[in-house]
Amino acid sequence: MKNQSRLLFVSFFCVLMTALLLGCKPTPNASATDARPRVALIMKSLANEFFLTMENGAKAHQKLHADKYELLANGIKDELDVSRQIDLVEQMIAQRVDAIVIAPADSKALVPVCKRAQQAGIIVVNIDNKFDEDVLAASNVKFPFVGPDNRKGAQAVGEFLATKLSPGDKVMMVEGAPNAFNGIQRKLGFEAAMKAAGLNIVSSQSGYWETDRASQLVAAVANEHPDLKAVLCANDSMALGAVAALRAAGKLDRTFVVGFDNIAAARQLVKEGKLLATADQHGDQLAVFGIEYALEMLRTKSTPADRETPVDLITAASLSAQ
Amino acid sequence: MTEARTTSSPAGWRSWMADYLGLVIALGGLILIFSLTTKHFFSPETFRTIANQIPAALLVATGMTFVLIVAEIDLSVGSVLGLCGAMMGVALTRWNWPLWTTIPFCLLIGAACGWINGAVAQRWQLPTFIVTLGMMEMARGGAHAVSNSQTLYLGSVVESIAATSFLGLSLPFLLAMLVVILAQFTLSYAVLGRHMLAVGSNAQAARLCGIEPHRIKIIVFVINGFLVALGAIIDTSRFQSANPNAGAGYELQAIAAVVIGGTSLLGGRGSVLRTLFGVLIIAVLNSGLAAVGAKDEIKRLVTGAVIVAAVIVDYYRHRLTKRDEG
Repeated sequence: MKNQSRLLFVSFFCVLMTALLLGCKPTPNASATDARPRVALIMKSLANEFFLTMENGAKAHQKLHADKYELLANGIKDELDVSRQIDLVEQMIAQRVDAIVIAPADSKALVPVCKRAQQAGIIVVNIDNKFDEDVLAASNVKFPFVGPDNRKGAQAVGEFLATKLSPGDKVMMVEGAPNAFNGIQRKLGFEAAMKAAGLNIVSSQSGYWETDRASQLVAAVANEHPDLKAVLCANDSMALGAVAALRAAGKLDRTFVVGFDNIAAARQLVKEGKLLATADQHGDQLAVFGIEYALEMLRTKSTPADRETPVDLITAASLSAQ
Repeated sequence: MTEARTTSSPAGWRSWMADYLGLVIALGGLILIFSLTTKHFFSPETFRTIANQIPAALLVATGMTFVLIVAEIDLSVGSVLGLCGAMMGVALTRWNWPLWTTIPFCLLIGAACGWINGAVAQRWQLPTFIVTLGMMEMARGGAHAVSNSQTLYLGSVVESIAATSFLGLSLPFLLAMLVVILAQFTLSYAVLGRHMLAVGSNAQAARLCGIEPHRIKIIVFVINGFLVALGAIIDTSRFQSANPNAGAGYELQAIAAVVIGGTSLLGGRGSVLRTLFGVLIIAVLNSGLAAVGAKDEIKRLVTGAVIVAAVIVDYYRHRLTKRDEG
C-alpha cells in the first residue's frame, strides 16, 4: 500500500506537471498601453473537430496580423452547455473587450446576453449558427451574421447524390441533434433535393451527431428496407457510422452515403469511394471572416449587411482535381 | 445456480425461472412487438446486426457488473473508452506502430486508468463516484489532447479484427461472449468472485473474515479498465476510425443494462449472464425503435420507461426468491 500510494503520487504529479506545461504557454503580454482592439472569439464545443479548426484558423490569422488586434479565444465543453456560454459572454463584457465574435450554442438563449454586450458598447458579430430572427426582432436588436448557408450546402450534396439515383428509390436521412439550427437546415436542404428528384425518404431520425448512434440507426433501417439506396448524414462523424453499418451488413457496394463537414477521415473515405460526397464550409475561415467583420465595424463605426460564406461540394472528382 | 449471491439460493428450475423468466419475457415481448410492427425486424439480419453492435457495450457492462457488485461505481468508462480508442488511432497512424503492439498498449492504458480509479479511491478512502467523475474528465481531456480533437481514419489496418468471423459470428462477438462466460464463472465459482460478493454485501464482515476489501476493489477496477479497453479496440475496428468523442454516455447505458439485469446498486448481488440480457434488451429496443422510425422524444420516453419497469420487475423477483429462501 505504501509503495502504491507513492507511485500514485508520482504519476499524479507527472500528469499535473505535463498538463500545466502544455497548458500554460506564455500568452502575449497585454500591457496597459496596448492600443490594439481586443476581440473575443466565443466558440461552441472545442471537443468538436470543426470548431477546433475554426479556432486554429483564427489564431493563425491573429499571428499574421498581430499588430492589428488581440485575440481571446474561448469555447465550451460540449455543444449543449448553453449556460456556460452565457457566462463566457458575461465575462467578456466584464473584461471590456472591444468586440465579441460568437458562434452561439443556442440560437435563442444567447440573444439577451449579446444584447447586453451591445448595450455596453461592444461590437457583436454572429458566426456559424444564426440567431433566431423572431427572437432578434422581439428583443429589438440586430447583429450582423457571417456564415455559411447550411441548407444550400446540404441541398448541393443531395442534388449530387440524386444524379446517381432514379426517381422512387428509397433513401434515409440521419439528422443532427434535434435542437441544433445547422442540423435542421441541413435536413431541410437534403429534403428539398430528395423531393425535387422524386426520391422516397423512408426514414429520418436523429443520430445526435454521433458515429455509434448513427451506425445503430442505419443498420436497423437498412434491415427494414433491404432495397435502401442511399443514406444522407447531417455530419461526417455520422457518415462514418453509416459506412461501418453498411459494411458490416455487406451492403456498402450498393448503398451510397453522403455526409457534411469534410473532416479528414471523411476525405479519406471519399477518396476510397466509400463515401459519395460531403460539403466543406471552410471552418478555418469562418471565424476569420467574423473577426475581419468586427475589425471593419470598429474602424468604420457602421453595421455591414450579413455575409454568406461559401460551402463547397466535395467529391472524389473534386479531391483528385486539387 | 446462475445468479451468485452471498446466501446460497435453492437449486432447481424454480429458482432459475425466478431469475430469468422476467428477463426472457421482457426480451421476447420486445422482439414480438417489433416483429409485428415492422416488416423485416424478425430476420437473421437483425440478429446478426445486433450481434455485431453489442460486443463493446457488453464488455463495458460486464466490467460495470463487477464494479457494482463490490458496491462501487465507475462513471469514467465512456471517457476511458474514448481515450483508449484515440491512443490506438494515434499509435497506428502517427507512430506507425503495428497492430500487435498497439493492442496490448491499449489494454494497458485501460487497465492503468482502472488501477488509478481503484487505487486513489482506496488509498484516500474516497467515494468512487467522485474519483471516477474526475477520471471521466481527465480521460476525455487526454483523448482530445492526443488526437488534437480529430477523428483519425484508420481504414483497412484494423479491419481484420471486426471482419474475422467463425460460423457467421464475428470475432468481437465471440470474444465478448467468452468474457461473459469467464466472468460469470469467476463470480459463481472462483475465489475472487466469492470475495467480491462478500466485500460488496458487507466490507466490514469480509475484512473480519480475512479478505482485504481494498485489494479486491482495486482488482475489480483494473479488470473493468481492461474490459473497457477491449471494447475500445472493438469499436475502433468496427468504425475503422478513432473518434475522441467515442463512448460518450456509455457509462449510463452500461449502468442501465446492469441494473435491468438485476444487479444491485448497493452491491453484494449480481450476475453477468443477467447483464447480458440487460444489454440485449437495450440493443433490441434501440434497433427496433430505429426500424419503426419512432420519433426521438418517443424513443427516449420508451427507453427510460423500460429501464424503470425492469427495476420494478426485479423488485418482485427479489421478493419471490427471498420467500423461497425463507
